[in-house]
Amino acid sequence: MKHKTLTQSMAWLHTWSGLIFGWLLFAIFLTGTLAVFDKEIDGWMRPEIPATSLSQSAAAQQALGYLARQHPQAKTWNIGLPGERSDTLTVSAGEQRRGGGTALDPRTGEPLAVRETAGGGFFFRFHFTLNLPRDLGIWTVGLAAMAMLVALISGIVIHKKFFKDFFTFRPAKGQRSWLDAHNATAVLVLPFHLMITYTGLVIFYLIYMPAAVDALFDGDRDNLGRALRGAPAEQQVRGERPTRSEAAELTALEPLLAEAERAMGPVSSLSIHNPGRSNARIEARPVLGNRIELTKGQSMLFDGVSGEVLRQPAVSRPSLLTQKVMAGLHFAQFGGYSMRWLYFVCGLASCAMLATGVVLFTVKRRRRHDGEGAVGALLYHIAERLNVTVVAGLMVACVAFLWANRLLPVELAQRGGWEVRVFFLVWLLSLGHAIIRPWRSAWREQLGLAAALCISLPALSLLGESLGDYLYLELTSVALGLLLAWPCWKLYQAPKERAPRRVGKQPVAQVN
Amino acid sequence: MKSKSPAWPTLSRIVAALIGGYLFTYAFTAALARLLPMDKVDALVVASLPSFLIYTLAILWTFACRNAWRAWAGMALALPLAAIGFWPQWREVLG
Repeated sequence: MKHKTLTQSMAWLHTWSGLIFGWLLFAIFLTGTLAVFDKEIDGWMRPEIPATSLSQSAAAQQALGYLARQHPQAKTWNIGLPGERSDTLTVSAGEQRRGGGTALDPRTGEPLAVRETAGGGFFFRFHFTLNLPRDLGIWTVGLAAMAMLVALISGIVIHKKFFKDFFTFRPAKGQRSWLDAHNATAVLVLPFHLMITYTGLVIFYLIYMPAAVDALFDGDRDNLGRALRGAPAEQQVRGERPTRSEAAELTALEPLLAEAERAMGPVSSLSIHNPGRSNARIEARPVLGNRIELTKGQSMLFDGVSGEVLRQPAVSRPSLLTQKVMAGLHFAQFGGYSMRWLYFVCGLASCAMLATGVVLFTVKRRRRHDGEGAVGALLYHIAERLNVTVVAGLMVACVAFLWANRLLPVELAQRGGWEVRVFFLVWLLSLGHAIIRPWRSAWREQLGLAAALCISLPALSLLGESLGDYLYLELTSVALGLLLAWPCWKLYQAPKERAPRRVGKQPVAQVN
Repeated sequence: MKSKSPAWPTLSRIVAALIGGYLFTYAFTAALARLLPMDKVDALVVASLPSFLIYTLAILWTFACRNAWRAWAGMALALPLAAIGFWPQWREVLG
């Protein structure tokens, strides 16, 4: 790269960082956009769980009854409560708080036979680990996010007519249209792109940039953890003495839940330590997103017998609050459903920006790669295939994952793992398909398949008994399917490709 | 544009941006955390949060430079910054 001007070198940087990481970023943004509705997707993937309008305290009472019958001796009971976004009531006994537990029918307090599934959490995990080993995944996604920041800023530098282009769209003009679409989706939601990328990095900021930890704390994470929490944890829990305890009745949950909700907002789960003893403790955790600040790990502690508050939720100091608010802006748990939809739509715009960007790369070179020698031609062909696989193929894989949830036999062992395998197998097949088919047919067929699978998704609920209420999810799926059918239909309309690749002098290849 | 220029200055620049830029950011963050007149925890958070912006700017700067040598020279600023950031640790090593 020998460039005379700043614009030229920034354009080079934008093109190559955008292309190389664009594919990865599309996968991250698409799954992230779906993860905005992870709980809703999760509910759809567990159709055995009935829709319920039971109050939290009534559901918690059912859970208590079940736990007292099944695990009277356990040290700790955990209850995951249904809430605004989920009808799922889960219980577990013992120390493990994570990893599901047993789903109960909130109406009867009996266990439900829920299918084993990877659940909506798959999209969430893929979004920040790409299903790689956790550390490797986090670093890969972090690198991609840095490339996104670089591409965004260099994109702003090379974009001369920032506001004029805002209102410019020249449809059906081949390369120009792709450029306009790329510019429009980039500029229109530019604050969102910048915000979501930066706050994504901020979530794991001390993993990515441990410089200050190394300089001020000699890299001692335990020491840092204590400093971040403030006072040592033992001191905060008042009156926790390892004294003998006698049997004692647990306090009523309803006023306790009301108090927790008053202090922290809606409650997501309860842990009851030493249930049925005089030293019982009840810990209540809030739903993420009662405020913008990401309240992960926050909780409130009650005396399990008297119901007295032993510990109020911790208040973050201003510097940490800044970090938690930034992380919360990324998690998008605040603001209820209207905010969720805003993030979803902006996320789709980001996906469109990335997709039009990588397509633009090949459209631009379609008429000049012949002049770039063998390496240029090879690169162009690879880029063209990967575009189909990453953009259309990944969408097919995501819907296929949902289809697998309903079509795989319920009694299959390791069923959740098989759903994930279907996702990756379909994605791999889409790569094979993109390699053997002419590019235009590959685009058309894969987009068509994704559209068809999305539109017919509601039909799956007719297959078996499904007790939940999935109207909005199914409407959204149909709407997305129709959205995908549009470019597919345009590809049918466009003239058949003229003698591919031999024509080097052909002016501008018409794309749609 | 790719085939005409030799590959190695470009490669050198990419390495300068990715590795050199990271080391520069690392040293900058350490120095800033050390110099901020705040409580340790606050200094840590305040210095670390803007680090991704610093890294981005460092990468852009490497590519905006007239040649790869200048880019590397800029990244060499990491050394004095690291000396500030890890000053107590270094004094301990030196005895």
